[in-house]
Amino acid sequence: MSFVTALALALSLFVAIPTIAHLLRRGRAQEQPFPPAALVPEARATTRERSRLEDRGLLLLRALMILCLAVIGAGPLVQCSRVALGRSGGASVAIAIVVDDSASMRARLEGEQSRFQKAIEGGRQLLASAREGDAVALILAGKPARLVLAAGTDLQAARRTLDELRPSDRATDLSAGLALARAALSSLPHQDKRVVLFSDLADELPPEPGREVWAPLPELARKLDDCGLLRAVRSGQRITAEVACSSELAARARSVRLVGKDVAAQPEARLVVQQGEQRVTLEGKTEGALAVELTGKDQNPDDDRAEISPESEGLRVAVHADSARERVVTGGAPLLEQALHALSFDAPVRPLPELPREPSELADVAALFLDDPPGLTPETRSALDAWLDAGGVATIFLGQHAQDTQLGESLEPFARGAVAWEVLAGSVQTDVTSLAWLGVEAKSLEILSPKGRARLDTALLPGAEVVARWSDGKVMIARQERGRGLLFSVGLPVSAEVSDLSLRPGFLALLDHAVGEALRRRGPRESTAGTEWWFPAAGNLQLTGPVGVLPLREADGQRVAAADVTGRYEINLNGRRETRFITLPAQEVLAQPKQELPAAWQRSAASSAPRVDASPELGWLLLAFLAFEIAVRLTRLLRERRAQGAIEPSSS
Amino acid sequence: MTQVRSKLDWGAFAPLRLKARSVAEGVFAGSHKSPRKGAGVEFGGHRQYVPGDDLRFIDRHALMRHGELLVREFETETDRDLWLFVDATASMSYSGPGASGPKYGFAAVIAAALAYVAVRTGDRVALDFLGGSSARSIPPRAGRDAFERVVLALEDVEPAGDLSQDLGRFENALGQAQRSARRGAVQVVLSDLLDLPARSLEALTALTTRGRSLQVVQVLSPAERDFPFEGAVLLRSVEGNTSVETDAALSRQNYLRALAEAQDQAERQLVPRGGRLLKSVTSDAPEELVRKILSSNVELRS
Repeated sequence: MSFVTALALALSLFVAIPTIAHLLRRGRAQEQPFPPAALVPEARATTRERSRLEDRGLLLLRALMILCLAVIGAGPLVQCSRVALGRSGGASVAIAIVVDDSASMRARLEGEQSRFQKAIEGGRQLLASAREGDAVALILAGKPARLVLAAGTDLQAARRTLDELRPSDRATDLSAGLALARAALSSLPHQDKRVVLFSDLADELPPEPGREVWAPLPELARKLDDCGLLRAVRSGQRITAEVACSSELAARARSVRLVGKDVAAQPEARLVVQQGEQRVTLEGKTEGALAVELTGKDQNPDDDRAEISPESEGLRVAVHADSARERVVTGGAPLLEQALHALSFDAPVRPLPELPREPSELADVAALFLDDPPGLTPETRSALDAWLDAGGVATIFLGQHAQDTQLGESLEPFARGAVAWEVLAGSVQTDVTSLAWLGVEAKSLEILSPKGRARLDTALLPGAEVVARWSDGKVMIARQERGRGLLFSVGLPVSAEVSDLSLRPGFLALLDHAVGEALRRRGPRESTAGTEWWFPAAGNLQLTGPVGVLPLREADGQRVAAADVTGRYEINLNGRRETRFITLPAQEVLAQPKQELPAAWQRSAASSAPRVDASPELGWLLLAFLAFEIAVRLTRLLRERRAQGAIEPSSS
Repeated sequence: MTQVRSKLDWGAFAPLRLKARSVAEGVFAGSHKSPRKGAGVEFGGHRQYVPGDDLRFIDRHALMRHGELLVREFETETDRDLWLFVDATASMSYSGPGASGPKYGFAAVIAAALAYVAVRTGDRVALDFLGGSSARSIPPRAGRDAFERVVLALEDVEPAGDLSQDLGRFENALGQAQRSARRGAVQVVLSDLLDLPARSLEALTALTTRGRSLQVVQVLSPAERDFPFEGAVLLRSVEGNTSVETDAALSRQNYLRALAEAQDQAERQLVPRGGRLLKSVTSDAPEELVRKILSSNVELRS
């Protein structure tokens, strides 16, 4: 504390002056000689009371004014809780504001303000202290983390974008959000770079946040009690609701009840008082039920309701392989099936003994793998066409049997016309550079030592894109868009006797790629908030959810929508209607905010927090006090003037 | 130049002699009936015979009819005695905000001016005080010397004392006039009528017997008339021990109402007995008040 600061604070001792004056004057009315005093009625109580109140009020005002002056004089010694941007040496600053828009940020703090609203308010305060030359980037840390505003010096755009942000029901992804923030700032020329994080910190924190990371609102990480409905599934007359509670207190005296037509009389299901996930079942007359909701109150009322979704088996991966030919020597399922099992998808892998003849046989299939089929009958081709249009992804591995097609059979839609099998005498290898889209595993496919290959001329693949070639330039893998669906045609069978393809990691990468595409295109009927749904670029598409029509964006030649909010979504694609459900991630209820930050984070907070001068606020406060005193005095003056005006001069 | 002897700050009312003469010069003296009785043409009533009375005026008819010695009196168009009673109690030293001097100073100017008018028209003047220190009575006298004596007496008095609890002293002050004032005497009381003892007005009305007129001039300061105080005030009476703490704005109307009521009550007691109450304020023009007293006296006589 400097001498000047101490001197300014010493000014506060002058508070004693009005206090002493008040004490001296207190209770003493102005004494006047007045001969006809006996004619004056006494009004002591009223006079004293009002005088005491006014005098005390004025004394308090004056004391506060002196204190304000002293504190303003003391300058930056006094700080306020306003979030502001400190800067060293007056240089411009580059900041990346990371706002956590996960479901847990909807929880209410004091005064019905949610964590998210508090975070946005903090962001506004931060931007208010930014000035020309400062660069700002905005990142949302709901899963997956997204860059909503690239770093730039347009502060108006930053403020506008911040105001447009809305909370979501996504999971939290702080690590990715912080990584995105650092990446957004990395190319900027500013010396002083900061990452400002507005989050409840209910996620795994990176061990070393870096010195530039600052979480200015620790109150966001206050522990709250919450129970949330994750999902509700109908199975006949039975409705099963999954509930997560962050504490026993949140689950106390709470039940799940049905919402809908004619369900008011249905019994409620009481929650077990426990922390964690639990299932409750509601039975009875539940036909009219549309949703379930939690009774009672907690600190996040937004997750106390869930739409009821019909039970479904989910999507499958289907495999058609000749088990007699493709069985490995050690026994068990065919190689292709075993490889798919090894990838451990969420979708179950099911063998398909016979090729489908009806589209309904593929209704719950997301990805279809065919290993060296002899040919496809017209019924199978028709079923495949319809399935592909709905978003299916099919992969065919062509082998020797490709040339054994019977009359009426063909390999369409994978290849038009007859595919010939070519025995390879010399050493034909793979062109690895053309397989870069498979990632690092592509290198493992360089030497496959094939004994033969299916000759896929481009003439056989109209509209297809060649995505992998042999070293002699011939087509190895072709990729073809078909409606919402996708086709992969591979010029080798899975059999280990023909090539080493199935023994290479690149093979698994290829399967993984195909299944990933399938899940992305078909989209699961039920998924957590933030899941992206992909649709073909062409055609009429409309998505309607709980908050209205869902916006679409273009990516990789397709249309993509991301559902942020839990609930029921209606999809209309070229007249075909589909219903999907978005559910709440359980960790958004169960994960507790970090009450104690890791040591590295605490060091970061200490070094990043700026010192905010409260003088402007105190200045306004001082002016308000002054205005109030003037108002009180004017009121008193007017009252006395009115009393004077009431004098009626006596006639002499 | 008149030397002011008392410690009183006379303010705008000093020097008394010049002020009084100036006031009197501005007043039309007018003709008025002299209170002197004796040989005249107009019957003025009977009174008991006292040794030394002219035997010519003994009413023989009354003696024969009632067996009592009564003397007949006659009024003549000659001078009348002027009896002045000036309140010199402590409350008369009050000036208050907006006043040009104390109430006693104003009352003294009025009294001296009346004395000057009376002396100029050949009437006798007497002076007495209610309270006051160094107060001395002036018996009825005529001539220029009488005015000088009245002025000196007025100047010598220091307003002091408290008669509020002493009706005896009050009656004593009036006693000489009651006994000595002749029939038709003009009696003027100059007082603020504040802090007077109970039943003091009854004692004053006793002066109205035997054809004597009584005019009570209430002298107030502007502050006493208007109550111009603000905020919380502690009001202390000059006589007695009355102290009142009040909010001026709240009490103003009630005070003015109480003052008007007190004045009405005084008027109700005086008028039926031939007296009259005149209200004045020290900021009034003294000439107007003197003229009002004189004209009021003429009305009373008629």
